[in-house]
Amino acid sequence: MLSRSAERLYWLARYLERTENIARLVSVHMNLLMDLPKGVEMGWRQMILINASEKEFYEKNNVANERNITRFLLADDSYPGSLFSSLSAARENIRTSRELLPDEAWEQVNEMFLFAKSNLETVANRRHRVIFLNEILKGCQRFTGLLSGYMSHNHPYRFILLGRNIERADMTSRILDLASLLLSESRSDELRQYETILWMNILKSLNALLMYRQQMRSRVKGDDVLNFLLLDTNLPRSVGCCIAEISNSISKLPNNDDLTLKLIELQTFVQSIDTRQTTQKQLRTILDGLQNKLGELHGQIADNWFLRTAVE
Amino acid sequence: MKSIWKNYKTDIAYDELMYSEFQSRSVSHSLCQYLNSLKKEDIDKRKIAAELAIMEMGISFTVYSDEGNIDRAWPFDIIPRIIDAREWRIIEKGLKQRLTALNCFISDVYSEQAFIKEGKMPGEIINSSKNFRKECIGMKPSYNVWANICGTDLVRDKDGMMYVLEDNLRVPSGVSYMMENRVITKRVFPELLQDIDILPIDDYPTHLHDMLSSIAPHQNGQVICVVLTPGIYNSAYFEHAYLAQQIGAQLVEGKDLVVNEDDCVYMRTIEGLEKIDVIYRRIDDDFLDPEVFRKDSTLGVRGLMRAWKAGNVALANAPGAGVADDKVVYAYVPEMIRYYLHEEPILPNVPTYLCSNKDDLDYVMEHLAELVVKPANESGGYGMLVGPHATAKEVENFRLIIQKDPRNYIAQPTLAISTAPTLCKGKLEPRHIDLRPFILQGENTFVTAGGLTRVALRKGSLVVNSSQGGGSKDTWIINMEGS
Repeated sequence: MLSRSAERLYWLARYLERTENIARLVSVHMNLLMDLPKGVEMGWRQMILINASEKEFYEKNNVANERNITRFLLADDSYPGSLFSSLSAARENIRTSRELLPDEAWEQVNEMFLFAKSNLETVANRRHRVIFLNEILKGCQRFTGLLSGYMSHNHPYRFILLGRNIERADMTSRILDLASLLLSESRSDELRQYETILWMNILKSLNALLMYRQQMRSRVKGDDVLNFLLLDTNLPRSVGCCIAEISNSISKLPNNDDLTLKLIELQTFVQSIDTRQTTQKQLRTILDGLQNKLGELHGQIADNWFLRTAVE
Repeated sequence: MKSIWKNYKTDIAYDELMYSEFQSRSVSHSLCQYLNSLKKEDIDKRKIAAELAIMEMGISFTVYSDEGNIDRAWPFDIIPRIIDAREWRIIEKGLKQRLTALNCFISDVYSEQAFIKEGKMPGEIINSSKNFRKECIGMKPSYNVWANICGTDLVRDKDGMMYVLEDNLRVPSGVSYMMENRVITKRVFPELLQDIDILPIDDYPTHLHDMLSSIAPHQNGQVICVVLTPGIYNSAYFEHAYLAQQIGAQLVEGKDLVVNEDDCVYMRTIEGLEKIDVIYRRIDDDFLDPEVFRKDSTLGVRGLMRAWKAGNVALANAPGAGVADDKVVYAYVPEMIRYYLHEEPILPNVPTYLCSNKDDLDYVMEHLAELVVKPANESGGYGMLVGPHATAKEVENFRLIIQKDPRNYIAQPTLAISTAPTLCKGKLEPRHIDLRPFILQGENTFVTAGGLTRVALRKGSLVVNSSQGGGSKDTWIINMEGS
């Protein structure tokens, strides 16, 4: 397998995962705001805190309202972190690696891109936005499904898994980061009343509410949710499970010696987190550390397998 | 019921499907009847369905001048073009004959040059050809085949005869569109394809794969074959990716490849360097190897020519094959067939005036406004003059251009190239078409069943190139025996 192809498939998967995550996040946030009473200090601004894009947002917008923020996150093609930018980047990557994937994979991504492109304007309207986001979520799921059903689980497939799971782990950690930010010192009594609703929405944003209930057999509690989303090794979107998937893919790829150690280190780091013993502030530091470690892992994957044209 | 063929004009040129507005040709009878049975809205619906399929399948080509929009949807006309299998078998034989002679000629040019020594062609033509590569002298590619993949353009004149317009021996494109056109037609007219006996075309990738494997430098074990593309900004990128996928080859760019001290070509993979046996290159000679050709090329691979000459890698088409792609050389193909094969040409050439010939030049200058003038080494329909469609000023400008560089221009009579019914704003109108079959030559020779029919969508236009407002049609070779 070409190094360049490995790199493109890896990024294809990252961008598609990002597309799906943004769609899920915005969709869950809309639901959450509908549940919360008017006047709680919870609003759309948190959506741009989560991926550190506040500065970029205010360069283009004055007010952090629903209309501006959803347009920024979903439709702004000049903001590289937007849903549309991610989807466009995914399409560009698959367009240049079509020969490795089933025909339907390209058609699926292309179709989704064409749909998004011709419906960008509709996201300003709440009802249309719901339809838009549902279409995107379905499209991403279809892509994942058809690869899993049609594609050999070979090296190209492993690079897709790698990209997907690194992006996923990163996003889960950011969502938890957001939750702990919301619940840290400044929270008011009013918001505290709605804590359960907040945690339920966090679970929903990772499609994990049902699985949480089956696994924990208890009411939704902050500590348990955090534990579940960080450490569970069966839930696809928990950090622990993503790292297990990454580790599994890497073990089947050639020339993986240098990465094995790094992964053990990362797994130990995650499994040693005990959310019952940590304050919100400590937790944020831990999550920051986790994100940095994922970044380092990405760097090592790139060094190890991707095309370094500078090196002859 | 009113016929959709009412007022359809068949007096412009030979029409491929219709004798007159009242009568279809026997080969197109079923299709024409079927179309007539559809309501106008039905036909429009099929057209929309086809456009949607093209968008979703992402069938595109690239236009350089379209800033910011590098991808353009492939313009496709849903009404197929039809040829009788009995006629096709003759054309197929003619194409095999022609490519065989062309390959004999290229081999000869890079070895003894007997054709020239025996006075069949002035040596000056080769020496002044910009596609003659002296670096290739003495090379012996497998089976002595230099042009492994050829796209030959055919047109039908008003006399109903098929003529060869040109041979594309460098990096001919269009075969993926030929295949995708059939896929779309199957979606749009499933009921028709069931009832009519149309020769299948989807075996092309298998033959391409076999041909490429047959020219590998070794025949022990698995042959590693790649498609070399100039990259995403090339107008035929879609096709490169499509073909690589269809034949199960890696699609590589120059930067993925490296030639080591052992003069072998390797690709950079996740497992380290992997040796390559065959390169189906879609890059022009000029950009292939900065060590030998253009120094500023970033698309090619340094040392590739070294590896090829050492016999460690096969290139399809072989470097230098373009020498026979020259429109001046074209004029000598009938003579090549007689000389190398001792046969009479099955497919005729269009009469051609060589501006390098004093007598021919005089004739061209006198009749410029009636002729089509083409540069000898351009493709894509660029830089040509269609006399009868040009203004007096354009004709005069061209006169100066030819006088400056007569070697590089040829002229041909303006043919009344055939038409076929084409859906234009919901109505069937005749539009001019040509046909590009693809021929593969390695150990064996193979011709596609039909080819890519290109159509000049603008009324009256004779230029079918996709970069110049042309579209395409599905091409049906129909077996009439037994029906």
